Parts: sequence; C-alpha cells; structure tokens
Amino acid sequence: MHGPADTSGSDCAELLAPGYRVGNWEVTEPIAAGGWGTVYAGRAAGEDRPATRDTVALKFLPTSGLAPRQARNVVDTARREVELGRRAGHPRLIRLLDSVVLSEPDHPFLDGALVLVMERARRSLRDLLHAGPVSEAEGARLITEICEGLAHLHRTGWVHGDLKPDNILLMADGSVRLSDFGLAAELTGTHGTHGYAPPMGTFDYLPPERWKAPLGEHGVQVRPSADIWALGIVIHEVFTAGAPPFPGATPMARGAAVQEYADGRAPLRLDPAVPPFWRELAADCLAPSHAARAAHTAESLLARVTARPQTREGLPAGRRRRAVRAALVCALLCGTATASAPHGARDDVPPLGGAGRIRVFNAEPTCTTRTDRDPDCSLGLAIDPQRPYTADNVVPTRVWQGDELAVDCLLAHGIPIIDERDAWSPQWFRVRLPAGSPRPTAWLPAVRTKDRPRVPACPVPASGR
Amino acid sequence: MSGIVIYLPPGSGGTAAAEPDGDGAVTLRLGPGEVARFGRGSATTPVELRLVDDAISRLAGEIRVTDDHWQLSNLSATHSYLVENPEGAGEYLRVPPRRAGAPIPFEFSRVVLPTRRDTTVSFQVFAPDHVYLDPDGLGGAGGQWGGRTVTAYSLDETATYFLVLVALCEPRLRDESPVAVPTTPQIVERLRDHAACGRLTARAVSSHIDYLAEEKMRVVPPPEQDPGRGARRNGKRESIVGLALRFGLVREEHLALLPPRSGTSPRNEPTGGGEGARPGRHIGK
Repeated sequence: MHGPADTSGSDCAELLAPGYRVGNWEVTEPIAAGGWGTVYAGRAAGEDRPATRDTVALKFLPTSGLAPRQARNVVDTARREVELGRRAGHPRLIRLLDSVVLSEPDHPFLDGALVLVMERARRSLRDLLHAGPVSEAEGARLITEICEGLAHLHRTGWVHGDLKPDNILLMADGSVRLSDFGLAAELTGTHGTHGYAPPMGTFDYLPPERWKAPLGEHGVQVRPSADIWALGIVIHEVFTAGAPPFPGATPMARGAAVQEYADGRAPLRLDPAVPPFWRELAADCLAPSHAARAAHTAESLLARVTARPQTREGLPAGRRRRAVRAALVCALLCGTATASAPHGARDDVPPLGGAGRIRVFNAEPTCTTRTDRDPDCSLGLAIDPQRPYTADNVVPTRVWQGDELAVDCLLAHGIPIIDERDAWSPQWFRVRLPAGSPRPTAWLPAVRTKDRPRVPACPVPASGR
Repeated sequence: MSGIVIYLPPGSGGTAAAEPDGDGAVTLRLGPGEVARFGRGSATTPVELRLVDDAISRLAGEIRVTDDHWQLSNLSATHSYLVENPEGAGEYLRVPPRRAGAPIPFEFSRVVLPTRRDTTVSFQVFAPDHVYLDPDGLGGAGGQWGGRTVTAYSLDETATYFLVLVALCEPRLRDESPVAVPTTPQIVERLRDHAACGRLTARAVSSHIDYLAEEKMRVVPPPEQDPGRGARRNGKRESIVGLALRFGLVREEHLALLPPRSGTSPRNEPTGGGEGARPGRHIGK
C-alpha cells in the first residue's frame, strides 16, 4: 500500500495477468510495486457478484528467492497486518478482508507468496497533497479523521510505526483510512507503554530519539509518542502541500535539523501557511522529547481538534454539527471531549413500545457510574449502521448510561464497533426515538448495552439516507 | 543523525573541554550543527581539540557536523591539510589553506596536519550516520527515495567492519549450529587471506566490533544473561550476531565477501558475488 514513491517497476516483480485467481478473489490490474511486494486491484471472483462492487486491493508479498530469514521477515510483516486487522478493526483503519498463501508449484516466483486482501482506497494523502494545498476546512477534516484512527490504534494497544501521507489512504468518499501496518508494534510490558518494531522507518517521520535509539533483541523500542511526532509532521504537510517542517534538501539534512532542534540548538520554524490552531497543534506534536510529547496523546489531540473554536462563519448549523461531533467523539473515545452537547436529549426518555427493551451501557469507566447526564458521557445513535459511526451519521438525540430504550429489531452485520473495554460487535439495535424527533428510529451499537432481548432480525437498511 | 566522533590518540594534546581517556587520548562527540575548533590553542584562542606542536596555528581549523557528514575548514594561511580514508586504499582529500567548509565524504577519516619535523599530527573522525539504501529500494521511483521506508541501521558493505561482521555471522549463516560466535583470533585467522585484511590485527578486529556495537547498531545486550558466566565481550558479540541476522543486516549472499575457507571444509558458497564483485576493496594498506 505504498504511494507512487514506490512505483518503481521493480524488476523482481513479474506482473500477474488480469483474471488471476487468489482464493475467492481475482486480479484486475496492477496499482503499485515496491520493495516489499506488488499491489494489484482486484475484485471478488465468481459470477454471482456484480463486477462493480467489491473492488479490493491485493497486496502480494512474495517469499520465493528469499533466504529463510528474509522470508520470515515478510511473514512477520504480514502477521502484524493480519493480527492488527483482526483485533483492532475500526472505520478509520483500512480493512483487511482476507489473507491467502499461494500454492503455485509451477510458478516459483508465486509459490508461497502471501496475499493480503484489503479495502481499496482511491488514493493516498500523498497523492492529494501533490495536487496542491487543501482548504483549512478540508485539512481539518482529514486531520480529525487521522486522529480518530490513531486514537483507536493507541487505545487498542498498537503503535503504527510508519505514519506518513503515503500510508494514509483516502476512500472514494474522501474519508481517511490508516494503512500499512507492517511496522506496527503491539504495546507490551507491564504498563503497556512501549512495543518493539523492526529497525526500519521513514527518515522524515522519525522522532528525534529514534536517531539514537538502541537496537535490542526484539528490535527498536517504539512508543505512541513516535506516532504523535509523525502526526505533527503530517499536520504541517497537510497545510503546506507536502512541505516538511524541518529545513534541508535531503532526508538526512532534515534528520540533522530535527536533531539540532531536539538538542535545543535551533528553534522550531513552522510554515506560516499553517493556520494558527493547527500550527499550535503541530508544535505540540513536535515537542522535542518523548517526555514532553507524552502529554499529548492522540485522544487529547482529537478532543482539542473537535472542541476547537470555529474561526469563521459562526452559523448555528455548523456549531450544532460540531458539538454533536465533539460529543460523539467523546462517546467513542473515553469522553475526553470538553464541548457540551446542546442538542442532547436532556431528560426526556424515549417512549416505550417496540419488540423489546435494552438499557444503555457506557463502557467508559468514568461514565459507567455517573448519573448526572454529563455531556461528556453521552452516547450517539447512528442514522445508518452500515456507514462509519461519525458525526455526520448520528441523530441529535443523545443517550446515557442506564437509559432504557425500546428496540424494534437487531441487525447482525453493521459497521463493527469496539468499545472502551475492547468489546467488539458488528450488531446494532434499531431503537425508537422520542416523539417529535426528526426521525422515528436510530441505531445503537450492540456493544452499548449488556442486554440481548429476543427481537426479530432487522431488514437490511438501504444504504444512504 | 546522531553526529560524529573525533578521536585524538594519546600524546597529541588534550584539553579541558574534552574528557581525556585514561591513557591521554581524547574523544569528542558532536551532534548535527555542532562545531569543534582545533589547533595549539591559548588563553585567548580557546580550542576544543588541542594539538601540541609548535608548527600548528593556535587556531588551525574547524570541524562542523552537517547532515550525515562533516565539513573541514582550514584556517591556516600556508598549510594544506590531508584527510585520508584509512580504508580507501590510499584515497585522500587535500584541503588547501583558507578553504572554508570542505565536505568530507568518508565514514572514517584521518586528518593529517604537517609539522616542521618529519612527523605529522593526526586525529580520526568517524561519521557513523552515513545512510545506505536497502538493496530492493534502488532504481526507479524518479530518485524519490526520501519518502521510503528504509532500514534505519545501515552498514557499508564494503567496509572492513562489515567483513568482520560477516565473519562473526558465518557459522550461523552456514547453519553450523549450535556453535559459538567466533573469537577475535578466529576472525583474524578467517580474514587472513582477504586482500584488504591480511594485516588486520586482533586489536583492530576488537575496535571494529566495538564500533559496530556502539556507533552503528547501538546494541543493547539482553538483560540478566547469567552474569556468572562472565565473558561480557561474548555477550556483545552474540548480540551483534543475533541482531544482524534477525534484522537481515547480514544475509547468506554476503558470505561471498569472505575469502574461501581453507583447510578441511571445502568451499561452500552461494553463487554470485565472489572476489571480483567489489574491485575497490581489494587494494589494501
């Protein structure tokens, strides 16, 4: 899943013909080739599936011609991707659909190759930045979504390890997916403060401490603060059409400039083109030491982003939407947001009726015991359970721990949701909204209740609104 | 980018700024952007690196760390300085008088200043930050290697330290396990037939191992490894070998860099590479 920088026509890559079958998938065309393998576009094979749907990316990682130890590295890389995809799924992470090991004794190049089948993105953030500067509103949306993905990764115990615009993908609808987890490290140790990754990285995104990091038997130590540093670089790049914040003509020169800055011999000079709020955010991400950066977690940054003052066009609609988003984010992410939710449901309890009852459960520990209906502890109800659970996909009505809701039916396969205690479920309940709401019903993720009433299966909702 | 290391052998000088080692040698570390002045020095002309010889100016020159390399300014009005590459088969640069900021491309350098007698004064500069691209990252991409994911601990595969590393890894690469990591005398013996390493001493091998462990790979030995067994040096060697193999810094194909094995075991090397593959390395000192 590398960007164009890796489109090298590497001579070790024999191109596969369109129609080549990989498990339940077939190749349509090559997308990119890089040092680690080749990425093809593909689709679900078989005639019962419409050809227009299900376009996927097939990442081929050949192991032939490699010494056993190198092959093991490839396998390790793939294992990280699969493991992370299995355990940390999230609407902001590229979805791993399948993984296949090829058995092609007649084609030594392909035999033993690993194929990762993933959602297909339209392009990378790098491609977008090459096309020119983005507006502040668009940049804000991109960074918010990157923060959402990063906050989720960190909360589920992973460090990305190679965050950069080439690995931040944009779907056809413009939404962000983090990808390329080949260097992702799972946080270990008694306090889950750090993990270990192979000694690899991309110079322009390495935090200053990495240049001096020792190599231990498990690799190099990485901490979430390394991703935060990379996020600071990315924020700067988003508003400067890809210009890095540190001066220098080569990555080594910029690496040296990072070192001078971290040692206190040079100030941080961010491009004035970066709007003030984002410049401050980037500067915090680029705090010179791990200790100084540790104060800024992906979640605290996300809370700041969602609660930031609107700089222009103080339209009520915009403000409302922002507030809803802030509250939703807090519902998704531990309730650190500070904005209030003026359109919350106050004390009105949805009318009862329907096929069953559920009580709302808020897994965020500080919210589970609260009864004051604090906005930070409110939870959002989705409009469409098959679209990402984001601010533009929730109704104004908020619910709190202990609220009793009337349920119509259960949808088995919506967008999977993971709560603050890592419970995971793709199931959603359709619940009734209070009389007078713009919509009669909305959707509550099944992880948001402990009840499992016997209710009928919901008809699959027509996607879209 | 962690900077450079300057090493002044015993008997050449010393200064308050740098910590003289026990034997009178001086080691200075400079980070990117940092500067060290060298010369005879005086109360009014302080220098970070003091060179004791009447023929050397009070302020003879300046070293500045830039990017992954360093620059030498010759502040003498009359003398050229030489920068030799000790592994470069006589390769050297002449830095003329008053040249400001000459970039020095060598990972290992010996800076030589003339004196009035037949002798010279010299010190060494190591620049371990030099970056080497991964073999699969070459070609194509329109020169855009900057955005690539690369191995962050890169080694010069034509350097003597790399030969020492391959020799250390050889038994495990040939799957002659379980075997201990070779000792220093075994390394010296193993490399004796190599054109560039015929006169490699045990002390030099130890220095290369230290350089690999401390400057290149920044090895942390695994904790609590049976302290009773002593042999701390072996811990360091085993760590180097384990890491080099685990992270693919040394691979089977590198065995071709070693001279053929003499004695009982027949030559047993993969095809490709071979003695002629790297002409630059065989002209030894």
